[in-house]
Amino acid sequence: MMGLQVDMQPLIGRFKIWARTFRGSITLFSLAGLLLIPITGNQYLTTVLVTAMIYSIFAASWDFLAGFAGQISFGHAAFFGISAYFTAAFVEFARVHWTLSLFIGAGYAVIFSLLIGIPCLRLKGPYLALGTLAFALILWNLFLTGTWLGGTEGISGLPSLGNIFLVFYIVAVFMIASLIIMRAIVDSRLGTILKAIRDDETCADASGINTTTYKLIAFMISGFFAGIAGGLFALHLTAVNPAVFQTLYSFYAIIMAAIGGMVTIYGSVIGAFLFTVLSEFLRPLAAASLLIFATILILIVRFWEEGVMNPVLEGVQDAWDIIRRR
Amino acid sequence: MIEEILIYGMVQGSLLALLALGFSLVYGVGGILNLAHGAFYLITAYMIYWILPYFIFIDNYLLRFGITAAISLGLAVVIGAVTYLGLMEPLKESHIGVVLVTFALAFFFEQFVKFVGDPKTHFIIPFVPGTATFLGVTFPAQLVALVVGSLILVTFVTLFINKSTIGKSIQAVSQDFEAAQLVGINTNMILMTTVMISALLVGFAAVLYAPGNFIAPRIGWRYLLLAFSVTIFGGMGSIQGSIAGAFVMGYATSLTDFLISPTFSVIIPIVVILVMLLVRPQGLLGKKELY
Repeated sequence: MMGLQVDMQPLIGRFKIWARTFRGSITLFSLAGLLLIPITGNQYLTTVLVTAMIYSIFAASWDFLAGFAGQISFGHAAFFGISAYFTAAFVEFARVHWTLSLFIGAGYAVIFSLLIGIPCLRLKGPYLALGTLAFALILWNLFLTGTWLGGTEGISGLPSLGNIFLVFYIVAVFMIASLIIMRAIVDSRLGTILKAIRDDETCADASGINTTTYKLIAFMISGFFAGIAGGLFALHLTAVNPAVFQTLYSFYAIIMAAIGGMVTIYGSVIGAFLFTVLSEFLRPLAAASLLIFATILILIVRFWEEGVMNPVLEGVQDAWDIIRRR
Repeated sequence: MIEEILIYGMVQGSLLALLALGFSLVYGVGGILNLAHGAFYLITAYMIYWILPYFIFIDNYLLRFGITAAISLGLAVVIGAVTYLGLMEPLKESHIGVVLVTFALAFFFEQFVKFVGDPKTHFIIPFVPGTATFLGVTFPAQLVALVVGSLILVTFVTLFINKSTIGKSIQAVSQDFEAAQLVGINTNMILMTTVMISALLVGFAAVLYAPGNFIAPRIGWRYLLLAFSVTIFGGMGSIQGSIAGAFVMGYATSLTDFLISPTFSVIIPIVVILVMLLVRPQGLLGKKELY
């Protein structure tokens, strides 16, 4: 007990310092605002935000792998879908409590990330991207044509977690925990090693880092959080079907991370919220909305490599500094 | 049974050769991995489907289809050139950038087709009507056109690359990019030509294979996957490898189709990719190291 308290003290100190900085205060402010939303009793807004929070875990897991470990994956829908399926299956068929099923589902996502990672890490850069895409497509086809786990229909009618406001707080807890853990990993020694591999693999290899092991670890961590997102998605919708494997979800992760700015983790959250809210606005346009988002992604990759939000945030930070100096 | 496996393997192989040749060529010459390759197939097939009704006044279906196919192929080649100039060329320095932008482009085409048309599946009437019988097996006569067309095109492209001046420049660029620039080859032009050839080949695959089959917005990914697995199998950037790989995979697919089940043949590409990556990562005839 003593040891824990001794460990906590510097953490609290660091938290206080962080909370006074621009980043810290704006984060805490937004978080407080977010957590107050269910109090308004607006069911529609709450549902939209639950989706946004789930997507932000998913996008952050992609950003972790792509931005920090430098391994671009186009098959994140595979982890997402696998976990969604197994979570749903354990809740529906084995009657396991949802928290346990969620972690079992995420565990399966980790196993699949190993299955995908081991052969695909023989490929570098662009090939890895295609290899992961191939895996996700195969899983999609398998679940579409197969008869296991509900076949084309999928699994539906899962017991609900409770009313939408309860779901909101459950998902919020998972989102905050996932993001803090991912950020902590990125700032830790492991994160430094991953960044070293991303920047110069040959050099990292020469410095005695076992690059394959660390890349696999990055794959597993990313798979785990994508799995958490997938499981929550299935529990939130109380249903799952083969569509969770489609390329659309991999695209979602990428565009959210790209909107918010890659290599940040927190950018994915901004991206996910912007994306979800924008999609709700564009809902009347139906089919055109995804076309618009595809165009946006092309433009972002082509012209603004550092994302859309990063320059905006920097501008706000400059303004903040000027105000504080007065 | 054995005749059916042989014939359908040949058909599959011809299709895969058309799909993979362009994909492999673009990679081998420019180091560009084009994730929109399957989307080129998709857009050509849909252009045929959309343009066909405009020539309804021509009574002869073969002629009507021919005109439509020519227009669609022309547009596909133009789309290829525009894609290269607008998206691939500026991002050539970063492999990740090209991959991301072509992924987005593939997605764009999928959504475009959904938006302009509809998400339902459609059917294009085959331009060679009826059935043909060979070795006691009866199959749609359209497939004969596919096999013959594929053989002619693959031979033509191979000759073009080995004999013509542009083809020799393409080879030079693929061997050493900077040295090719030094001897005065316009590498940008060559890369654009390669992407256009690739779009033409995959467009021909759509012209020959899409009639008589169902088309839907999501089919693009399937053809990308097939092209990718053949290229991994045959060796990235090797033309002979791609052709050999296409026929090996074609026969493998038809074997599993007839001996095990068509559901199982869905996972053939991934099995091929897995085994090849674990056993021989550079592919059957690949010389280049994967970097």
